[in-house]
Amino acid sequence: MSSQPAENTAEYYKHLSLFWTDLIHLMSSKPQALASTGPMRAFASNSKKVATELLEINQSLMEFNKFLTEYYKQLTETWNEAQKKVSLKAPDVPQDVEQIEAFKRIWIDIFDNDFTELFDSKKFGENYGKLVSKELELTKHWNNITNVILQSANLPSKEEIDEVYKELHSLKKRVIKLEIELKKKKVTEKK
Amino acid sequence: MKSETAIDPKIMEEIIRFNKNVLNAPKLVAAPDEIILEVTPHDVVQEVDKTRLLHYKPLTEKQHKTPLLISYALINRYHILDIQPEKSWVRNLLQQGFDVYMMDWGTPTSMDKYLDFDDYINGYLDGAVEYIKNESSVEKISLQGYCTGATLATAYTSLHPESVKNYIATAPVIDGWRDTTVVSNLAKNMDVDKMVDTIGNMPPEFMYYCFSVLKPFEQGIEKYVNFFKNIDNKRFVDNFLRVEKWLSDTPPIPGELFKQWIKDIYQDNLLIQNKMYVNNSHIDLKKIDMPIFTQVAVGDHLVSPECSMPLHYAVGSEDKTLRMYPTGHVGMIASSLSQKKVLPELGQWLLERS
Repeated sequence: MSSQPAENTAEYYKHLSLFWTDLIHLMSSKPQALASTGPMRAFASNSKKVATELLEINQSLMEFNKFLTEYYKQLTETWNEAQKKVSLKAPDVPQDVEQIEAFKRIWIDIFDNDFTELFDSKKFGENYGKLVSKELELTKHWNNITNVILQSANLPSKEEIDEVYKELHSLKKRVIKLEIELKKKKVTEKK
Repeated sequence: MKSETAIDPKIMEEIIRFNKNVLNAPKLVAAPDEIILEVTPHDVVQEVDKTRLLHYKPLTEKQHKTPLLISYALINRYHILDIQPEKSWVRNLLQQGFDVYMMDWGTPTSMDKYLDFDDYINGYLDGAVEYIKNESSVEKISLQGYCTGATLATAYTSLHPESVKNYIATAPVIDGWRDTTVVSNLAKNMDVDKMVDTIGNMPPEFMYYCFSVLKPFEQGIEKYVNFFKNIDNKRFVDNFLRVEKWLSDTPPIPGELFKQWIKDIYQDNLLIQNKMYVNNSHIDLKKIDMPIFTQVAVGDHLVSPECSMPLHYAVGSEDKTLRMYPTGHVGMIASSLSQKKVLPELGQWLLERS
């Protein structure tokens, strides 16, 4: 197993876990059915979803770590480069207040310039975009797990609440449109 | 071999003084939470959902006929335009005899994630304009947009030119591809669909991150060192805390609105190409044919001049003015330069057209 690529290993364990979760679920479905209105019934039937999400979280976490490592690598390299520039421009240890002030100005100017250049760069923008995207995937998995728990407590999921918000938004728009039409009609009637 | 380290006594004095200032700071300075940012007296004249329309009380007996509505940005809050009496944008305009209204976009919650450009432009902004027209018995008003508030105001002015007598665009976010700032670089690489689908509204913490990477060392270290160094300077400290409080208070941005803003302005750059639509209505910049005054700050690191200036050349107006000021994004609206130069020029321009 150790010689196999990491992705295949993950797939193997994913399959193994889902196989046993499914099998246990099938084997235990009869006793669960007895309490079909209880919270455990809903939770048990959704436990497979939780297992899948947890496995996928690991995968997303690995990718997230890859972009996070690159993020800190870029910051560290820029820091080191800026520090070298400062050392070249101000090689002596400042001896009095004026020199400290001048050194501080040089340090801040060089660091601000170099870091702004990094944050403006394509490589930073792309990596940061992917880092945030992976972080959002982690959030999505977490949301999905939370939904399983909410549903087992007979509470609406995030998607269901979103549907309500969407419906409310659309209703508000329709009411405003009707109000405008009513206003126009009243003005016409007055004339 | 004798080793000697000569330390300038002034350095020690500086360190001791700085240390003393840090220890004394809580005794000398109010906590940011204790500071009330609303300075100039006003009434809340209209509330729609979470938005409010503020009407400032006049400071002169004689007032110019055409009222002015300010469409503040979606990031942070309107307080920066009235941050303290001697640097207040609003107070200065009131003292010049203008009748000033302000849009407060409020604090959207998860429930507001479906609010979009249409709601802000044809709903909230249009509702405010209609209210002011009725109250002042005028057919048209003057409209000023600041930063992202100018993106909304520009779209509004294109869709409702019949309601706008004069348009002032202050550091407007218009041409996303020409924007050279860090904010634009982050926006261009953002998977905005995934962000909105997953977390709904754009969280304030993310906005705060975007700002913290702008001049990170000057803004993150030096300004706080200066704050403690100047702890005895009441005026400096008061201004510092007010601006800091304003900076740290940024509301979430409704998901759908944020999505369209990032896609249409930064990623696809539709507004300046006259390809942007709001609820199936075409935003044609050529339809902006009233007098327009575009204000740009040369040192703006949030909205670069290259991003704002194209508006001046894209509109259909014949009476158009472009002014560039040697300052930054905030300096243009809340500094001694804005009081001495930016506002008198704006006042004169508006007076001639009000």
